[in-house]
Amino acid sequence: MNNLYLKQAIRGVKFNPSRTILTTLGIMIGIGTVILVLSAGEGFKSYINAQVEAFGSNAIIVQTSVPSSTKDRSGSDAAASNEPNNSASNAVPITTLKMRDVVDIKNIPNVKNAYGASIGQQVTSYKNVSKNAFIFGASSARFEIDKGVVEKGRGYTEQEEKALAQVAVLGDKIAQDFFGEEDPLDKFIRIGNYNFKVIGVYEKTGSFDPSNDGSQIVIPVTTLQKKIQGIDYLIYSVVQLKDNKQSDATALDIADLLRRNHYISDPVRDDFKVQTSKESLGTFDTILNAVTFLLIAIASISLVVGGVGVMNIMYVIVTERIGEIGLKKALGARNKDILYEFLYESILLTVIGGIVGIIMGAFFAFLISKIAQGFGLTWAFIVPLWGVVLSVTISAIIGIVFGVFPARNAARLNPIEALNKE
Amino acid sequence: MLIELKNIIKNYDNGGLITNVLRGINLEVKEGEFMAIMGPSGSGKSTLMHTIGFLDRPTSGEYLFDGIDTKDFTDDELARIRNERIGFVFQSFNLLPRTTVLDNVILPLLYSSSKKGLEQRAKNALEAVGLGERITFMSNQISGGQKQRVAIARALVCDPKVIFADEPTGNLDSKSGSTVMHILEKLNKEGRTIILVTHDINVALHAKRIVTIRDGEIISDRKVLEEERVHSKEAID
Repeated sequence: MNNLYLKQAIRGVKFNPSRTILTTLGIMIGIGTVILVLSAGEGFKSYINAQVEAFGSNAIIVQTSVPSSTKDRSGSDAAASNEPNNSASNAVPITTLKMRDVVDIKNIPNVKNAYGASIGQQVTSYKNVSKNAFIFGASSARFEIDKGVVEKGRGYTEQEEKALAQVAVLGDKIAQDFFGEEDPLDKFIRIGNYNFKVIGVYEKTGSFDPSNDGSQIVIPVTTLQKKIQGIDYLIYSVVQLKDNKQSDATALDIADLLRRNHYISDPVRDDFKVQTSKESLGTFDTILNAVTFLLIAIASISLVVGGVGVMNIMYVIVTERIGEIGLKKALGARNKDILYEFLYESILLTVIGGIVGIIMGAFFAFLISKIAQGFGLTWAFIVPLWGVVLSVTISAIIGIVFGVFPARNAARLNPIEALNKE
Repeated sequence: MLIELKNIIKNYDNGGLITNVLRGINLEVKEGEFMAIMGPSGSGKSTLMHTIGFLDRPTSGEYLFDGIDTKDFTDDELARIRNERIGFVFQSFNLLPRTTVLDNVILPLLYSSSKKGLEQRAKNALEAVGLGERITFMSNQISGGQKQRVAIARALVCDPKVIFADEPTGNLDSKSGSTVMHILEKLNKEGRTIILVTHDINVALHAKRIVTIRDGEIISDRKVLEEERVHSKEAID
């Protein structure tokens, strides 16, 4: 950096501070938005990561799925995408995933534990309070695998599961809705036509995962299947691994096993979907990156508008300082010196705008993280360093791109004409 | 010979309307001279000064500076000559606003190739014009006479061969003007070439030689007799 040019540039910027601020407003807003989007994106990622970890970061989810070949034939989904197609939300329920599959999965060497689950919706009531609630039927292993902590009371045991016991563990919100200040433990709630004893309450989470968002009711899967739904199949299964590094291989093992069990020879006819947590994160990352890119593209409009604003002001400044340019030339400044002085000034303007923008963006991202944390969400406040470096670089580039024409005008001024304008 | 002009012609082209501002100027200036260029406004005296001072190029004619033909000099080379060999003093001072006296004087040094001892050289120049005490003042906090002395210090700081002064007293009261002229006289006594542009005979009479120009031509070129010379008694405060 040349000290002279920088010094003259600083002098220029200091000349009219309020104009400096107004000039760089567009850059500030643009860069601020970029930083806000990047930082909030990171925060959201940290939240999702926490969610996945709550599920068990070393977990594989097996869910029922309509075979893609069926979809092709029926023509209902010509896109034939490979997205998991949960049978719960499908007109045709897939009935092939059984508890026997879960038992077999448990025998795969890298599998530590696994549970099967079904979901039902039932009118649930306690005294006068009645709610249409999601009922999660799960093997007792759920309490060993999921990170959701039973705060009060306990989870049910394998024996209770085998005995089709009518016991329930409630999410904190639904427990609050039913019982308020009352102690829920050992009270009976009504699910469908049966009375269930409340034996445990989950701790409060900020999760959006419906199986652990506070409004869930968890009962033994056998009880849900046999007494309420009258079915013998599962909707999904959660598999906990010993070594997460081998999750891809284990996912293949599970798929092989299920194909054998379900007599499927062609993977196109798979009636299930095996998803590692890595994959779910990957899918999520793709979506988030697309959204981030879109928002940054929108913010770039502000950057371009800001750049044009800076260019306008640079033209005004050149006109204002014509006498000064003439003087400097008379004193021996070369065209190059004048060019660089104005270019440095325009870069200084945009970089100042960029830095203020970074601070503003980080501040709002910090507010968002605080608000999210206030709602009990695990939301980290992260300003990615590469984002900061990128922002400063972009600001400087805008300064060069939009400053070079005014600066060249200044450099080409005839010293006499410039002096006479004074 | 420091400056040698041979048949210098300067035309301005204002959208097809050509104005002949200088019509064949022949002039020689030796080192150490104190010359005044006189003439009414519009006579071409400022253009002549700008041409001699390398702020403008002549349309035609030959200009030898220190014996070297300057015709093929690039813009950067001219900038370098202005920086190292020539000092300018303008009627309206042309100091940088919101800048200290010292920094104003340092300015030409910043564009020069030797950047050693900037501050000391600027201080020396300011002492030569009697302003050694005011170096930290802002350029707008001092009087007009002091401003012009800062401008002279700025012209001096690169140790030039020639100082051009364009109506240096035009914006000053008589006392400050007298001080400025006194400084210019002193600088000439020390051996520096001074070229003064003025329309005021009383200012011109400080010089040793008066060149009068009218309609772009030199109409008289005479020595100032010692008895008619005006000497400024005004001391530097």
